Amino acid sequence: MIEAVRLTKRYGKKPAVDDVSFTVRPGRITGFLGPNGAGKSTTLRMLLGLDHPDDGTALIAGQRYRDLRHPLRTVGALLDGAGPVPERRGIDHLVWMAQSNRIPRRRAHEVLELVGLTGAARQRVKGYSLGMGQRLGIAAALLGDPEILVLDEPVNGLDPDGIRWVRNFLREYAASGRTVLLSSHLMAETAGTADDAIVIAGGRIVAHGSLDDISAGHESLESAFFALTAERGGRGGW
Amino acid sequence: MNTVPTGRVPDTCEIKLSDLVRAEVTKIRALPATWVALALALTADALLGLLAATDVVRLAGHDGQIAIAQSGTVLLAPVYAFVAVPVFTAGGEYRGGQVRVSLLAVPDRNRFFLSKLLAILGVLAVAVLPVVLPGGVAQHALGDADAGEAVDALFTKAVAYLLLGLVAYGSAVLARTVVTPLAVLVVLPVLVSPLLRGLSPEVTRLLPHEATLSFLGMPEGPDLALDRPVGLSVVLAWAVLSIGAAWAVTARRDSCP
Repeated sequence: MIEAVRLTKRYGKKPAVDDVSFTVRPGRITGFLGPNGAGKSTTLRMLLGLDHPDDGTALIAGQRYRDLRHPLRTVGALLDGAGPVPERRGIDHLVWMAQSNRIPRRRAHEVLELVGLTGAARQRVKGYSLGMGQRLGIAAALLGDPEILVLDEPVNGLDPDGIRWVRNFLREYAASGRTVLLSSHLMAETAGTADDAIVIAGGRIVAHGSLDDISAGHESLESAFFALTAERGGRGGW
Repeated sequence: MNTVPTGRVPDTCEIKLSDLVRAEVTKIRALPATWVALALALTADALLGLLAATDVVRLAGHDGQIAIAQSGTVLLAPVYAFVAVPVFTAGGEYRGGQVRVSLLAVPDRNRFFLSKLLAILGVLAVAVLPVVLPGGVAQHALGDADAGEAVDALFTKAVAYLLLGLVAYGSAVLARTVVTPLAVLVVLPVLVSPLLRGLSPEVTRLLPHEATLSFLGMPEGPDLALDRPVGLSVVLAWAVLSIGAAWAVTARRDSCP
């Protein structure tokens, strides 16, 4: 379970995240939707203890992230702007992460196999394609076989096969009683994967509920999204 | 991608500081820049030791040619390849957003900083002797210093390298980059010291590089000389200040890569 309670973050006087509260329940995939600059990434960073909130609290399994005994066994995260040093080999990146959380070394090889990167394990990350980098990020998130997954745009750069794999994998993951928070701006992808959704715009939550509830009265999730975010200053076009 | 189910990771006991240090050492070892910097430092130190001992090459000075053995700044130059190791260790965290992954794995900022500090201290302590030994042996074998003096000089040099390494490490954490701390550390003795020396030698001799030269017994001139224990104290103070500031900043600031 993930709980955000009145989270607020300001950069200067401008609030990037303003009084944001929500709950992400286990056994379900929750989409976290919002236009660029809506506050999605900032919220995720506060949830995961990377950035300090100016106000409010974020709890993961009832604790602040930084108080977790085994962080990588509790939460697996794939975040924008969080990756390995490009000169390091993929396997080395996973090995140090495993060592830092007392995860057996063999697990690094298992997750590489899981995401289809075994052949590139000894390759330096700077030689990876965008999709391979994304797969390595997913492998890192799965390293501790965590109870909670927090993924920011996980299908970014993946080929259709990879996208389908992620979708099916997340469904199985949630079906086993675990928690998945999936940040995305791909409406069709979210509509095909998530059970619930949280919509953020202009740093504030504008909708929170099941996908059916949010889409009710609209042609699709996408239509609902544009209607909801337009009220908070979302862009109507390019 | 495969459809292999995720394998259950057995729960284990508390994560120890030694686990975190081991992970940090793996990070350092797995960075090619570490090995390049150490190889450069070793080669440069050995070559300068050889040149200083044989006096086959002389440098142009204000009062005619001087022996390399008389130029502390030149003899200390390899330290700037050596300190690249801690700089890459700390500054490298901010390449590719590594610091965010690190803090996801070790969210307790104090434990994160402490483990990283212990790891780099351990790596530097192990690496410093092989780096300074060939140059020291060359100077001893081909020069006129006795064995006791040579061992003392080696030990002093190793301590100087370690302390400057810590100064560099803290600077890289503060700067969140690799380039700036290395540039500043090189510019200080090459440009700032000569300019500042004419204005205020009292201040110049307190700079990290000049204090280190005093500690090594090789000050650039009588006006910049400190007693060796005072030189050691000054460079130690720089190291403590740099590490302390880096620790405070790591504990407080957001994870901007």
